[in-house]
Amino acid sequence: MKIKIKSWTGVATWRWIANDDNCGICRMPFENCCSDCKLPGDDCPLVWGQCSHCFHIHCIMKWLQSQQLQQQCPMCRQEWKFKE
Amino acid sequence: MSSVRLGYGSDRLVSNSQTKKRHSSDEENPSSPLQSRNKKICLEAQKEDIENMDRQKHANFSTMAPNGVRSMGLGKSKGSEKKVLSIKNLKVHQVAAVDHVSESWACLKEAVVAIQESRKLRENLTQEDLYRCVDNLITQRSPAQLYADLRDLTETHIKSQLENFINSSGDRLIFLRQVNDCWTHHCHQMKMVGNIFLALDRGYVLQTAHVSSIWDMGLELFRQHILEEVIVENRCVDGLLMMIEQERGGETIDRSLVKSLLRMLSSLQIYHKVFENKFLMATEQLYSREGQRLMQERDVPQYLQHVEKRLNEENNRILHYLDPSTKRQLIYCVEKQMLNEHKTALLQKGLDQLLDQNRRKDLSLLYSLFSRIKGGLDYLCSQFNAYIKTHGKTIVINPEKDRVMVQELLDFKDKMDGIVSDCFCNSDRFVLALKEAFEHFINQRLNKPAELIAKFVDGKLKAGNKEATEDELERLLDKIMVLFRFIHGKDVFEAFYKKDLSKRLLLGKSASVDAEKSMLSKLKQECGPGFTSKLEGMFKDMELSKDIMLAFKQNLQNMSKNSTLPLELSVNILTMGYWPNYQIMEVEMPSDMVQYQQIFTKFYLGKHSGRKLQWQPTLGHCVLKAAFPNGPKELQVSLFQALVLLLFNTTDVFSLDEITSRTNIEDTLLRRTLQSLACGKARVLIKNPKSKDVNDGDKFIYNKDFSNQLFRIKINQIQMKETSEEQQQTEERVFQDRQYQIDAAIVRIMKMRKIIPHNLLISELFDQLKFPVKPADLKKRIESLIDRDYMERDKDNPNTYNYVA
Repeated sequence: MKIKIKSWTGVATWRWIANDDNCGICRMPFENCCSDCKLPGDDCPLVWGQCSHCFHIHCIMKWLQSQQLQQQCPMCRQEWKFKE
Repeated sequence: MSSVRLGYGSDRLVSNSQTKKRHSSDEENPSSPLQSRNKKICLEAQKEDIENMDRQKHANFSTMAPNGVRSMGLGKSKGSEKKVLSIKNLKVHQVAAVDHVSESWACLKEAVVAIQESRKLRENLTQEDLYRCVDNLITQRSPAQLYADLRDLTETHIKSQLENFINSSGDRLIFLRQVNDCWTHHCHQMKMVGNIFLALDRGYVLQTAHVSSIWDMGLELFRQHILEEVIVENRCVDGLLMMIEQERGGETIDRSLVKSLLRMLSSLQIYHKVFENKFLMATEQLYSREGQRLMQERDVPQYLQHVEKRLNEENNRILHYLDPSTKRQLIYCVEKQMLNEHKTALLQKGLDQLLDQNRRKDLSLLYSLFSRIKGGLDYLCSQFNAYIKTHGKTIVINPEKDRVMVQELLDFKDKMDGIVSDCFCNSDRFVLALKEAFEHFINQRLNKPAELIAKFVDGKLKAGNKEATEDELERLLDKIMVLFRFIHGKDVFEAFYKKDLSKRLLLGKSASVDAEKSMLSKLKQECGPGFTSKLEGMFKDMELSKDIMLAFKQNLQNMSKNSTLPLELSVNILTMGYWPNYQIMEVEMPSDMVQYQQIFTKFYLGKHSGRKLQWQPTLGHCVLKAAFPNGPKELQVSLFQALVLLLFNTTDVFSLDEITSRTNIEDTLLRRTLQSLACGKARVLIKNPKSKDVNDGDKFIYNKDFSNQLFRIKINQIQMKETSEEQQQTEERVFQDRQYQIDAAIVRIMKMRKIIPHNLLISELFDQLKFPVKPADLKKRIESLIDRDYMERDKDNPNTYNYVA
């Protein structure tokens, strides 16, 4: 029997690589979006800090804007820097 | 007035042209004194005549007999022209003759008696003379005396008539004719008498209170002496009732006789008293009996037709001879006896049948008849509602009919819509009842209708469904949306719809993107953007995947121009949240496929950092090129089927265990895959021993003799078991989602109220939750929230909850 694959349609699902299930700020699962968004995925992405903590981008931005003096990670109080 | 002339075969007529003629002849011979005197009289007569005509115009006959006695005169007036000349001499003679009171009265009496006896008047007595007599008597004696004398005269005559009736032994019809003749005659003579005594009518009667006109006096006497005589009255009314009953029984009767007699009764103002009540009673009895009898004998449509016929007949009766004032009561009586009394029985006996058989004409009739009776439409409406509920329930409740449920629902809805718009005038309350009933019965069975509707839509949106054009499909979707609107558990629909949509999208089975989008927009319109956001996300994923694949292919070309890739890969990348959850599974794949997969993964993660890709082999599918001895074929198969088939490139025979170890496909899935390859329609493999199910130790052999008319062959996966399992999973997921919603609702209410008794909480929950729930489920959720310290039972009153902040 001679069989060759001509074309292959695969299916893959993607998820965020995060060190936790839930966002530390809004407590929503990373699978879902932050409380301000309607849809998860590209519309409500995650960001990682150099301290290795991650949050919904909308959540951490809101947090950082509310910080007057120093911008700290809400989890570990280290200075917040986006991971490149 | 003209009738008067006719009455006593009269004599004189003055038409203008003739007077002129006479004038001219006078002028020719002015010397004759006799002639000039004649001329004077002529002029006088003319004057009087004109005067009379004037009076006639204003004459006040309170109740004119409608028998048309008056209308005959004019035509014949010409016939009497010839006699005009002979009168002149007579008049001369009379002016002198009638000047004495008693003589005047004698004259008048003679005239009246002559009229009463329908005799001709004495030749030498003209109307002019009679007028003069009346004038004389009024001036020389009192008008009251004259009136009283006339009254006596009339009374005597009428009394004498009575004898005829009392002694009459003829049958009723003859008797009625007699009465009628007497009546017409009476009218006739009273009018003539009235004309003679015009001066009395115009002067004395008008000026004196409590004296009725001569005409009215005649009527009163007639009533008093003839019709108030019990025998006459009874015979007359009974006779009339008998004739009407005969007509109702289908015989033809002399309608003009009945009409004339009934007019007589109204003229005498005893119609209501002596006739109407009896008539209505007779009607009531007749139709009450008929209604009861026919309800037994006839089926409902026939009965309804009969009622309509009866109503028409009665209306006709009113038009033809009954007094219009009877109409309301008569029709009401028929409606009451024929419809109102039987409305329950009618609908119970006939409505279901009519609706079942879609007999629109009869239903329209039913509607129009029921709209006549008070509360009839309400009753009809509630019965209609009940019918839909029971009939709809039979469609929905039976699990054996699941396959055809949605189609039947659609047909049923169509039929009922048609009936409401065609037969029930699209009346609001019926439209509402229809909706209410549908909503009620469709939710009698939890979840299943929602699931089946989703499946039905799937079937229609799937490729290969060529039975409908785009327009038809669109209309169908609209109809389905109407059904969807009735369903309470919309989340169940969403779950199943999502599952089916994912299949359509991933396997490329969708018939038309336009149709999908239109369905989506309908759902969005119906349930708001929250309901469809995930479904829209699925479409977005599909489009994003296309873009990524384009970029990937370009990237491939740039990277490895020398190495040609053996197969074409396209990947659908799904965002976890939008799609249904899929079982994660690892399988063994040929090394080139694994490598290819890795290249793509690397490419994708390079573009999107912070993500993890999970391949879903259960959803993949392939197109295979297969070289059979009987010719090359192209096979459309699932990834699993492809993996199994690829094994046979090296060896022709494999046992089940060998395949399992080499592909690492989960056992039940593998068995199903093998079944599809060896036991389906297109058998690429041969199973040994042959049987329908795959058992342990079975061997599979490459089918060298495989042949098929088609070049491209699709090998279907076997789905039976999968669906029932999947169905359960989907349902479970829906129930889980519902639990969260219940929790959220409870907390919302608690947060607002702080303290709330149990019953109130439950009823508020029923208001808030949009899907059907059982109180037991709610209790469970409340318990769970108490355990998690969201709320607590009040220490004093265990039936009350406190919110715990």
